[in-house]
Amino acid sequence: MRKLLLLSLLCILFQTAFAQKAPPAKISGMFVGMNFDRFAARMEDESAYRFFFKADEVAEISVNLQLTNSDLKDALDQIFANTGLTYTIDTSNQVWITRGRKLSMDFPSDYFQIQERSDLVTGDSDSLDAFAKNKRFVIGRAADNPQSKTATLSGVVYSIESGQPINGAIVLEKVNYSQIVTGETGKYRLTLPKGRHTIVVQNIGGFQEQRQIDLQGDGTLDMRIEENVLSLDEFVVSSGALSNVNKLQMGVQSISIAEVKRLPAVLGEVDVIRGLLTMPGVNTVGEASVGFNVRGGAADQNLILYNQSTVFNPSHVFGFFSAFNPDMVSGVELYKGSVPVNYGGRLSSVLQVAPKFGSSEKMEVSGGIGIMTGRLSVEGPIGENTTFIVGGRTTYSNWALDLLDDEASLNGARASFYDFNANVKHQINDKNSLEFTSYRSSDEFSFDEDTTYSYQNLNLALSWRHFFNDQLEGKFTAGYDTYDFGIIGLDNPLNSFDFKFDVKQLHLRADLEYRKSERHILKFGLHAINYQLNPGTNSPYGSESIVINKDLEDEQAREISIYFGDEFFVNEKFSLSYGGRYMLYQMYGPQTINLYVPDAPITEGNVIGEQTFKNGENVKTYHGPEFRVSGRYSLSTISSIKFGFNTMRQNLHLLSNTSAIAPTDSWKLSDTYIKPQTGGQASVGYYRNLSNNRLEFSTEFYYRYMNNILDYRSGASIILNESIEQDILNSIGKAYGVELLLKKNTGALKGSLAYTYSRSLLKTSDEPSTEKINKGDFYSSNYDQPHHVVLVANYELSKRINASVNGNYSTGRPVTLPISKFEYAGSERVYFSERNAYRIPDYFRIDVSINLEGNHKVNKLAHSSWSLGVYNVLGRSNPYSVYYTPVEGQLRGYQLSIFARPIPFITYNFRF
Amino acid sequence: MRNFRLYLIVILALLASCREPFEPEIEPTDLNVLVVEGYLDSEGIPSVLSLSYTRPIQGESGFFPNLAGANVYLESSAGQRYNLKDIGNGSYEFKHNISESDTYTLKIFLPNGTSYSTIPLTPLITPEIIDVGFVKNETGAEIFLTTKGTSDADDFLWTYDETWAFRPAITTQYQYDPVSKNVVLRDLNNRIDLCYKTRRNSDLVLETSSRFEDQFVFRQTINQINQGDERLSVRYSILISQKALTKDASEFWEILKKNTDDLGSIFSPLPSNIRGNITQDQDPTVPVIGQVGLGKIRQERLFVDIQEVSPWLVEVEEYKECVLSSDTVLVRDYEARFKSGVNIPARPIIPDGAFNPIGYRYSSLKCVDCTQRGSNVKPDFWED
Repeated sequence: MRKLLLLSLLCILFQTAFAQKAPPAKISGMFVGMNFDRFAARMEDESAYRFFFKADEVAEISVNLQLTNSDLKDALDQIFANTGLTYTIDTSNQVWITRGRKLSMDFPSDYFQIQERSDLVTGDSDSLDAFAKNKRFVIGRAADNPQSKTATLSGVVYSIESGQPINGAIVLEKVNYSQIVTGETGKYRLTLPKGRHTIVVQNIGGFQEQRQIDLQGDGTLDMRIEENVLSLDEFVVSSGALSNVNKLQMGVQSISIAEVKRLPAVLGEVDVIRGLLTMPGVNTVGEASVGFNVRGGAADQNLILYNQSTVFNPSHVFGFFSAFNPDMVSGVELYKGSVPVNYGGRLSSVLQVAPKFGSSEKMEVSGGIGIMTGRLSVEGPIGENTTFIVGGRTTYSNWALDLLDDEASLNGARASFYDFNANVKHQINDKNSLEFTSYRSSDEFSFDEDTTYSYQNLNLALSWRHFFNDQLEGKFTAGYDTYDFGIIGLDNPLNSFDFKFDVKQLHLRADLEYRKSERHILKFGLHAINYQLNPGTNSPYGSESIVINKDLEDEQAREISIYFGDEFFVNEKFSLSYGGRYMLYQMYGPQTINLYVPDAPITEGNVIGEQTFKNGENVKTYHGPEFRVSGRYSLSTISSIKFGFNTMRQNLHLLSNTSAIAPTDSWKLSDTYIKPQTGGQASVGYYRNLSNNRLEFSTEFYYRYMNNILDYRSGASIILNESIEQDILNSIGKAYGVELLLKKNTGALKGSLAYTYSRSLLKTSDEPSTEKINKGDFYSSNYDQPHHVVLVANYELSKRINASVNGNYSTGRPVTLPISKFEYAGSERVYFSERNAYRIPDYFRIDVSINLEGNHKVNKLAHSSWSLGVYNVLGRSNPYSVYYTPVEGQLRGYQLSIFARPIPFITYNFRF
Repeated sequence: MRNFRLYLIVILALLASCREPFEPEIEPTDLNVLVVEGYLDSEGIPSVLSLSYTRPIQGESGFFPNLAGANVYLESSAGQRYNLKDIGNGSYEFKHNISESDTYTLKIFLPNGTSYSTIPLTPLITPEIIDVGFVKNETGAEIFLTTKGTSDADDFLWTYDETWAFRPAITTQYQYDPVSKNVVLRDLNNRIDLCYKTRRNSDLVLETSSRFEDQFVFRQTINQINQGDERLSVRYSILISQKALTKDASEFWEILKKNTDDLGSIFSPLPSNIRGNITQDQDPTVPVIGQVGLGKIRQERLFVDIQEVSPWLVEVEEYKECVLSSDTVLVRDYEARFKSGVNIPARPIIPDGAFNPIGYRYSSLKCVDCTQRGSNVKPDFWED
């Protein structure tokens, strides 16, 4: 104790003495690719320091720093970290730079440094986290494996607030930019040269933390970082930006829930899927549609996963809101370019919605009250090793309704929905843990008293994670996903009906990851899905109904995929990821299929018989490989090029004859006539950081081809069609485009500007068919919107107030317009142009919002925040669709907009 | 929760405010697509086929270029031809009793040298209408029909023409006689207090009988007349035509209906290209619109009297401001007030004990004269 006191005293004296003699030597500025000579010269100009060094020793050093009121020592630590150079600053402000190892034997200059840093730590040893960035951690023992020049650093990144491992945090070594992204367990593993390093940890939200280490041998370092609070911008080496340049994948967009929450929301409902729409290459055909289109693909070509569960309809009330409760989501990641080998089953993209798990630290309640919904969630530990989180969201409430009871004109219209999540995590021991996630959403709405629509999602999944050893990690999941839809029509007791369809899948997954060496990460596994699908049932409702029961035969199929992939870090400049999947798909009986005249169009007239398959008998098998290759070549520390090539297969199709996903769209499995959709995408991108890493720029070009796409012949009827194959036109598609993204992750002003040029075209294939749309030429798909610009900006007025603006422009979507009219059956009728020959007017919208936060003390009892803003602040009537209707004998065109005027909103959020 | 409506109210409020005119720039191309409409009666009752062209969407309404001078005939499988007679205005009359077991092709030769053929047609005999009727319901009256499908006739199309009698807001038996300069009783041929109006309805009602047990289409709704509608203010008549459709015809009508009724709501289906069963012989890819039918149509007429649906309170937009004048026009003012014909004498004012009126109260022509909106000639089919 005494010794400590003495040391502290000494330290203070030392500092005071230093401070007296030294001029206030705080340094600010940007230094990009500057050689050390010039850096030193500039320091000498700006301060009283004098530098002494051998020119040849520092010749290799390039300074890449941004400093804001920093000490020279900190800057030099950064510059010399891992270079073998060290320095001493004497009392006359003379900086002596020497080749470290030699000097350290006879001149213990860095001894002072360690002392000083350690001293700072000692004062607050009980809350290491907050000050850990200034401590130098000694990792491993030098005695272990002394002949090796490298050692492995591993550990787990946790959140200070929740105590949860952080998924997707980037752990980066600051000189050579070796880096890794943590997985779901928050684990990281880096192999570095022995010696001193600065390790930077950055969360997706753009916030970062750093640690000084002295790596002497293999060892572990767990880091706890704050998730939502912005870092103090002492050193801003934007590792997020670097990660964009350095990470292996391309065409991946991540958005943290914090970012989503900053965006202005429709009616105040924080919506992760709308957050996605701010990213290049993602757009939607209408505001009232949660269905989104990625790189010219149809909305059903996106695999939407909540943890490992497939969510079939991620929307509430016709798609006005996304069905994900923002409190139950930790972040979303969209793979639109190189889809990792462990995902498959859809053609366009994979949207991974990461669930939130309960805090291991303390019980917490959070919630929010908005115009439309209220939400509440509770989380916390149960015992030592188990955490839980449950959350729900629902529309309300009766008090408001009572006020409106007299509104006779709306007597029939009703809508209600809720969603509910419960996630439990149990740590069995160091090597085993269990995760249970569940999701339930339910909607019910009617426009009049006669017809009620309803749908439900249910997803359950249990995962067991097992660490076989340091290198091999496995995750085994069993899950059950269902979606069902129903309409009950009570228009007339005689014609009352109950219409339903549903899709169920039981899935088993084994995903293994083997870190073979520092240069190879092998991923392999097996996915098995058993589908059970009711394509449609219509039955009489009530005793008087004379509606005939119509039940389309259930469909069942199994899909088994195995995959293998390798992330190969070839060298510092070049990394390669390659792998493949092999998918076996089998539809099995009981099933009865029509037989058609071979090589003739599939029409009712060409039916030549039926074939019946017994229970379990194989109806049709499809199988085929999928390839995944991507690579990155670093041009410099701030720029890289990447390429990727993927092929994909899809066996589950959404039958949709409308431009947006309609609630009545039902699902269909590949069968004898409807082949699996297949497709491939090639992409190439260039990534560069600008303005000293404060800006990141990326551009990606892509080309996609798609086969066996479903389009529909004129007059196709989708609902309750026993022979849907007769109404489907086998089509091929192509899509291409370029995406430009400029992003600023640091500073008070954050934001991004994205521009996408993309085309998406379809063509009826050459297979025999009754109809070739647009004479068999390529035509625009319903979601072909060539130009798309999104601006997102968030300005931090203070740590507690930030303002956001979101601007969105896109070319109007294609429509088929009436171009002629004629008289038929006593009325004027319209004749339509070729499919999608025209476009609705362009879309342009600006939203603004302000978020007011409570204070940021981590341990404060209760936190609250307000969000308020205006959606579509310009009040522009962005047409969703156009239609024609006769008015006084004249056909008039009208455009229908959904949010045609500024929509203000306010939401109150709390957490305690 | 169940009664929750705020949600919809907000959404409807938003939706309500956002319908705006849309005038896209469409090349004023005159596509001149041939339009063929007709259902040829196979039992010799005169039926009409009409030929026309499409018009640009921006064109004036009501005028459709008709196609005269075409040579049209129906040809049996054995090559026997049944001519359709050009009766002007692009209409061609068919009047042949043909065998119902043969197949036929309709051929059209246009003056411009192109020719068109239908796919082979088999006469389709529509089953009889079993019953037509009406029922009063909460919102008004519903007209229904009952029929039964057969193995040949599964899909049905119902169209209807409506005729109704109505009275003006203010009835009068009087008129001003400019010769005698006096108000006299109207003669019965010149009544303006009871008129008839006929409207061909453009609704297409489609149904498939196999959706129901034993193909029995029970009380299919044909038309709904809401409370207050003028059509039931005196007496109403509806002539329902029932046509059995082949599968392809059913699709054609389905598309026509869909393309007419259901344009551009949020989840409406993509418009479909309408074709039919006719193609150009020279170039089969040339679009032609038209589904020619052959066979037998069934028709049934129904009358509904106001007494059968009363109480039926009528509100007619045109008559909203109609009142009887408060002042009385005296004999000496007849000429000045009634000569122009704008004001019509309606109520005689006869003092107690007098025989002749001292004057008349009057109302305006549009409130008194039903012929402004209909015809005072009773249709031939009308049954009182």
